[in-house]
Amino acid sequence: MPLLSLKDLSLTIDEHQILQGISFDVEEGQIIGLIGPNGSGKTTLFNVISGFLKSSGGSITLGGEEISNLSPSQRAKRGIGRVFQNFGIFRDMTLEENILVALEALPRQQRKDLGDLKEVVAGTLDMVGLSDAGKKKAGSLSGGQMRLLEIARTLKAGKDLFLLDEPTAGVSPKMTGQVADIIKELKSNGKTVLIIEHDLPFIASICDEVVVLDVGKVVLQGTPAEVKESKELKEIYFGADPTT
Amino acid sequence: MDFFLHIIVLIGTFLPTILGYNLVFGKGKILHFGPMGVSVITGYCFIVTLKSTGSFSLAILSGLIAVTLISLLFAWLSLRLNQDAFGVMSIAVHLSALAVVLNWNSLTRGALGIPQIPRPEFLSSVADFAIAAIILSIVTVYIVRKIDKSSFGRQLQALAEHEWHAKSLGIDRNRVHVLAFIICGIGIFLSNLIYLPYLTLLHPNDYQFAGMVFYVMIVVAGMPGSVWGATLSTVLLLALREAVRFAPLSASVLGPVRLMLFGFILFVAVYYRRDTLFPKQRSI
Ligand SMILES: Nc1ncnc2c1ncn2[C@@H]1O[C@H](COP(=O)(O)OP(=O)(O)OP(=O)(O)O)[C@@H](O)[C@H]1O
Ligand SMILES: [Mg+2]
Repeated sequence: MPLLSLKDLSLTIDEHQILQGISFDVEEGQIIGLIGPNGSGKTTLFNVISGFLKSSGGSITLGGEEISNLSPSQRAKRGIGRVFQNFGIFRDMTLEENILVALEALPRQQRKDLGDLKEVVAGTLDMVGLSDAGKKKAGSLSGGQMRLLEIARTLKAGKDLFLLDEPTAGVSPKMTGQVADIIKELKSNGKTVLIIEHDLPFIASICDEVVVLDVGKVVLQGTPAEVKESKELKEIYFGADPTT
Repeated sequence: MDFFLHIIVLIGTFLPTILGYNLVFGKGKILHFGPMGVSVITGYCFIVTLKSTGSFSLAILSGLIAVTLISLLFAWLSLRLNQDAFGVMSIAVHLSALAVVLNWNSLTRGALGIPQIPRPEFLSSVADFAIAAIILSIVTVYIVRKIDKSSFGRQLQALAEHEWHAKSLGIDRNRVHVLAFIICGIGIFLSNLIYLPYLTLLHPNDYQFAGMVFYVMIVVAGMPGSVWGATLSTVLLLALREAVRFAPLSASVLGPVRLMLFGFILFVAVYYRRDTLFPKQRSI
């Protein structure tokens, strides 16, 4: 059974069809890349999966359970972890508080299983090399540090399905490698990842499969090699080539 | 000396309301302008029950029930309306409650207010009230500090800073905001519990919108969300407000001067705190 299954998802806002007929499965432990031009509906699809936008039709199942009628926080409690394009870190809170607030929002039993939350917080800071900065406001971090912290906190909170929206955006080239490393670490931890990225070589290097979105529809799906070779991809990104 | 004791009592009666309100408006950034509406309903339920039954326990029970219900009403409204609409609605609820109190003469004596409120035996002098006020202040600051540093406090702050980011962690906005309104309501109830027997008079003028503006001013001047800031600004602004009464000015000048002074303080406070009051909501 796939961990996440989307069936015929559609979304219409003010008579604009933003998503239509989106269907694909994400198996447990897979890393799936979601690519497509600007405005093709990638972030909107994340909003529908995480519950911030209600789909106009279709179904979303997580581990076999239909979740389309659940609120964002209920979906989060069922194991969906979202990493936002513009950093989901609370800048007015300290790094420690940023991690703690994520752990405290877990369902009671899960929180108990974590044991001493202070230790988990210290472990998370250690994981991203920020052990000394626990009492600092998160607003003082660089983009790369925020991204690492956000992914590490989601991992330590035990989420199963990661929705990463352009994790390398706003991250200095120097730290992009570290972000790639932590995403690979997710995979080695058996996590399932859906990742939006514009950087094709980056996607090709970490994904098992790629889904291509254009004007709200899935137009292509396959291994990174297959997708790279296809001429549809070139058409989507560069327009139809008149010579062929 | 009496003036000094009087200030202490006033501070003690303001702190529970201000610190509760600071949680909702300062830390939670919920545009709630209805605490005075909560206060007027709670105060009247408390005193009407006290006068008609003579029992403090029944009166406290009635005040607690009233404050819970009205706080739940405000919480429900805030969860269903957007920020600006709720701000306006909260003022409307306050003014409606005041209109009811002013016009339901048979129960509330309207604009005359309710005099001769009995005091409990252990609170007979101003000094007794001052001691009670000090104890209440210390306990309130201590408890609110605990609440502020608790997981609830962090969740409230996270929701204020970015609702979507908070929800995506699994934070339940309904639960957190309802709790915030209830805590604020309990603070308002405690304030009434001391203030009304102290004055021995329940007067509708004490619940006008100007009083609400004073609450907002204290919270904003004290740095929205900060417990110590709100405590300090309660002490300073109350002392200032009472001291102005002794300025060598005729009564007809004093009123407007006081209004202008506080208008100026509010202006300056809002200007300096504009970023903490109305944070930019970043896009997704
Ligand atoms: N709440 C909304 N109301 C109206 N239109 C919306 C809403 N959300 C998204 N859209 C529209 O849906 C389309 C898809 O937007 P979306 O942000 O999902 O694109 P994207 O693929 O993430 O693009 P990018 O690569 O630039 O991040 C856009 O045309 C956008 O204007
Ligand atoms: Mg996007």
